[in-house]
Amino acid sequence: MTVVAVARTAQAASDAARARVLSALRTALPRVGVLDRGVYACDLRGTRRLLGAPFEVAGRIVALCERAGANAAVGVGPGVFVARVLAEHTPLGQASELALDPRVYLAPLPVATLPLDVRIVDELALLGIRDVGAFAALDRSAVLDRLGRAAAAAHGLACGMDEAPVRGVPPRRPIRASRRFDDAISSTEQLVFALRALADVVADRLRADGLAVLRLVLQAAREDAPSLRLERVLLPPTAEPTALVRSLRWALEEWPDLGRIEAAAIEALEVEPLRGRQLGLFAPDGAHAEEAIAVAQHLRSRLGAGAVLRARVQSPDARLPEREAEWTEVVA
Amino acid sequence: MGSVAGVAALDGAVARIGRRFGTRALVRGASFERRSEEGVLRTGTAFDRLAGGVPTGAPCAFVGTGTSGKLSLALRAVAAAQREGAHVMWIDPTASLDALAASRAGVDLDRLLVVRARTRDDAIAAAAAGLRSGGFRLVGFDTGPALLATPVRVDDIAPLIPIVRGTASALVIVTDQAPRRLVLPTFRFERLSWERQLDRTTGWTFRVAGTRGDEALFHARSYARTLLDLGARDELLEASA
Repeated sequence: MTVVAVARTAQAASDAARARVLSALRTALPRVGVLDRGVYACDLRGTRRLLGAPFEVAGRIVALCERAGANAAVGVGPGVFVARVLAEHTPLGQASELALDPRVYLAPLPVATLPLDVRIVDELALLGIRDVGAFAALDRSAVLDRLGRAAAAAHGLACGMDEAPVRGVPPRRPIRASRRFDDAISSTEQLVFALRALADVVADRLRADGLAVLRLVLQAAREDAPSLRLERVLLPPTAEPTALVRSLRWALEEWPDLGRIEAAAIEALEVEPLRGRQLGLFAPDGAHAEEAIAVAQHLRSRLGAGAVLRARVQSPDARLPEREAEWTEVVA
Repeated sequence: MGSVAGVAALDGAVARIGRRFGTRALVRGASFERRSEEGVLRTGTAFDRLAGGVPTGAPCAFVGTGTSGKLSLALRAVAAAQREGAHVMWIDPTASLDALAASRAGVDLDRLLVVRARTRDDAIAAAAAGLRSGGFRLVGFDTGPALLATPVRVDDIAPLIPIVRGTASALVIVTDQAPRRLVLPTFRFERLSWERQLDRTTGWTFRVAGTRGDEALFHARSYARTLLDLGARDELLEASA
């Protein structure tokens, strides 16, 4: 499940303080995007084990912003939009987490809370629709037909459907590697092997610029079919070629028939500053834990609900074996 | 100057190979001894004297009928992997893992990822992802009781064998039936006797036969779900003589 913390800094904060806040957030958290001037979204998926519960992280974000010289309010929710709304309704210097269903929380708020054109808000008011709940009750297709795609997207937000990911920043110069193959490749293993060389080039360029890739795209030109485009999000961001290849392998495994690939290119679409990582110095190695988390996330998305689990002994003396242990889904 | 340039070029070549094929692709001679020692998981039982421990970078199979103790010993191997601070993946298509028994065998359940894949392909893909990632010191694959309609047979795991080789992970296959087409280092588990008290089965004794014909004996207690290490057969014979 997506968990996003949105930090809203005070209006009075200086640009220098906001720059320090952004830098501090990027150092502390894996994926930080800029929503607006002084408003930052932090994707907390997969961070629970390493950083703690989202609300604890939100508390630390507030403290971090204070140390950077800007008071901030933080809202934690299952999507960027609802977390931002929550942050706007939270007093500065505090953090709050959404306990309700996003649809229920948003329902009593004025319809102008949604990212809608002023004319559409006026039109809705003429129809007697003044709060988000009333707007959400409308039929989605009717909203699309009458008010357009932007309004339909806002309707989705009103219904608590917020799938928009936290966006990072594109690299200043294109970071891309491509190769045309003498003989077309038709097997996944061969393609993965060929992609290693491209991943090495991309990783070298990322390191040279001090960057880690957050979103990566593979484009493969095929002889007998339209070109293939696969986008991958890498969490935590990395400049390790093995991690890039692993992520691409997982994407390619979803395609049983690749066709005949005659050229391939890898490009870093979104990047973050590269941070150091110690490998293998101590046994409970954080790097291995990150790999394990990445595999768990991948398997969860591939196998669906109820397949990737962790057990906890609940009652060792229970009469029924099924009550001895509790199985919880590993979401991230 | 020439030798300095040569060393730099060699370091560059080693770095490139490490980056492309993994940090364990090249090993310095001086560290080889230590690596061979690191390459096994010690269960702390007579099984270590039998087999030297559970090998990493290679598959091994624990084969035996139901209630022969293979899962109990496999859980000791899981605990051994976790003592090094590692995570463990357990592929459990038939949902037969006993969490309480695992906990009592010393397994840290927080660092045990259980994958209940529903199909053979999903189970194999999950194990392959775990082995390739390097995030798991041990990947256990329980094919489940042969009486059930299990989605996976031991011969089906053939695609995992080239993947595990060269990694730092161990692949332990727990199965009722010996492989027919695959050649794997196999440890055979056999139940020797039941222990009964007040008309109830309270435990059983089993032996593990290694590849060289030597054996280790264990006693499993049903209610406590614990494993008692009786020792290697040779040692027991010497002690009794």
